[in-house]
Amino acid sequence: MVTEAQAGPGDSDATFVRAAQQGDTEAFGQLYRRYARMVHGILLGRVRHVEVEDLVQEVFLRALPRVRELRDTSRFGSWLAAITRNLAVDHYRRSQIRPERPDDMCDPDQQPAKFNSSSNRKAAEVLECIRSLPEAYRETLILRLVEGMTGPEIAAKTGLSPGSVRVNLHRGMNQLRQKLAHGELRDASVSKNRTMV
Amino acid sequence: MRVLAKTEQWSDMRQRYKEQTGHDEYLWQGSGEPDAEIQRLEQVLEQFRATSLAPPAFPIVDYAPRRSSWWRTITSNTWVPRFSAATLILAAFIVALFVSLREPTSPRGNNGWSVELAEAQADTSLTAGKPKRKIQMQIGEAFETNGISRANIAVADIGRLELEPMTRLRLLQSTAGRKRIALDRGTIHVVIWAPPGEFVVDTASAVAVDLGCMYTLHTEENGNGLLRTTLGWVGFQRNGQESFIPAGAAAATYERSGPGLPFFEDASEMFRSAVSQFDAATEGSAQRVAAQQVMLREARPRDELTLWHLLSRVSELDRQAVYRRLSALTPPPANTTREGILRLDRTMLDAWWNALDLGDMGLWRHWERSWTGHEAQQK
Repeated sequence: MVTEAQAGPGDSDATFVRAAQQGDTEAFGQLYRRYARMVHGILLGRVRHVEVEDLVQEVFLRALPRVRELRDTSRFGSWLAAITRNLAVDHYRRSQIRPERPDDMCDPDQQPAKFNSSSNRKAAEVLECIRSLPEAYRETLILRLVEGMTGPEIAAKTGLSPGSVRVNLHRGMNQLRQKLAHGELRDASVSKNRTMV
Repeated sequence: MRVLAKTEQWSDMRQRYKEQTGHDEYLWQGSGEPDAEIQRLEQVLEQFRATSLAPPAFPIVDYAPRRSSWWRTITSNTWVPRFSAATLILAAFIVALFVSLREPTSPRGNNGWSVELAEAQADTSLTAGKPKRKIQMQIGEAFETNGISRANIAVADIGRLELEPMTRLRLLQSTAGRKRIALDRGTIHVVIWAPPGEFVVDTASAVAVDLGCMYTLHTEENGNGLLRTTLGWVGFQRNGQESFIPAGAAAATYERSGPGLPFFEDASEMFRSAVSQFDAATEGSAQRVAAQQVMLREARPRDELTLWHLLSRVSELDRQAVYRRLSALTPPPANTTREGILRLDRTMLDAWWNALDLGDMGLWRHWERSWTGHEAQQK
């Protein structure tokens, strides 16, 4: 059995992956601790916030019986990311819910009822804006802004090249700024109209 | 004055560059000069962050080897499908020769196809009001299975179709040397022993051309679909975009963009996921570039099938990376040049395809010529 204490935080994931491939559930638990945040972030970009926590566990439960099929143990992160994306797609198919991601603007009225205080509503609005971005930008921005991962960490975990992550973060942030500015202008215009009424 | 203005301009540009790189550094790794807006977003979004990072109790997985089935045994050996394909093609030629010699003596020709209903219901469209178990399907007629019925159709003398429930097809043509149907929706399993190129299926998003084989084709009413080849290979094309699907491989097709990239079904999950992301993304999008990078990185030698197709579906700049990766897996043959491949010279691409040993491109080009001639003749 390999534990984090034995392997050390600096040890590569491959140590845990190899142990997990031999049926060591404790080692798989260590991989969960290392990757739960990434899985959470990828799901958050695709499914409703309230469903994400359950689906994180489902991703790992789906990965567990297949981990032995992983040939290159150093690619665990990108392999798990692919499983996560596939599960998000399956989840939509199962629930027959289509993602509502307006392309041009962020609509705060689309937010769930739980986000009724102004700060929560603002947060939900920003999240919805990020979700409306192209997939590559959406994923890296959520991992950076929501999950608090750094660019190099995102690259290491998801298996994308650091260059791609950097470009995605930069372009995604530019698009997000534009969308938020557009949303704020729209809000200002609405409140102005209300005042006039 | 001009010098002063220029100096101010440079100074301003340096300042903006400094600000930009400083902010980028903060966005990149949370260090450097903080960007106030990013910090505000981080604070606002923190409430969505993963809270529970404690793993659940994972079940102990029994990694005992899977019970082997006869199907898995057959499909896991690469020589068996190849040997079977070779036998099937040989048999196809013998049967075709026999049929072509016999055809003039048959007064009915190939006008109708025999449909045998299995688990049939009276409300299949062709049998409404005449609940027979065997019927004749004529040119121009449509046939449709309902939610629980299946049917077998004899494709003249050259093969068989099996229709899954909720399948609708139309018989468009049945002449010597050409059998053609339109699959409007549903799933068909096809076994054809005619010479390559004789049996053609139209769908809303692509045309499937049998090149001596056995395959399954599924299509939705909106034109999206999937083709999986069991034996031989199948050509899938629309508006010049071609996908060739050998045994063990599959390819999706999309109403918007036509045939997608073919891939071997035993490719890694990551690779397959990247293929579908690439197919679904719009041309030139960041998502497509990211998917392409994953494919190049994850490709096994066998995935040369996908990379060969990728060559003609990426920008000229990206094509160089695809060329490098594919060359590393299967060196291009001597009669090709790097420049020729990069400018998508068809003869050179065909030569490289033939070097992959997945099928003889000559068969497809022959079909293309005969098809173009046939279409022109019809007009």
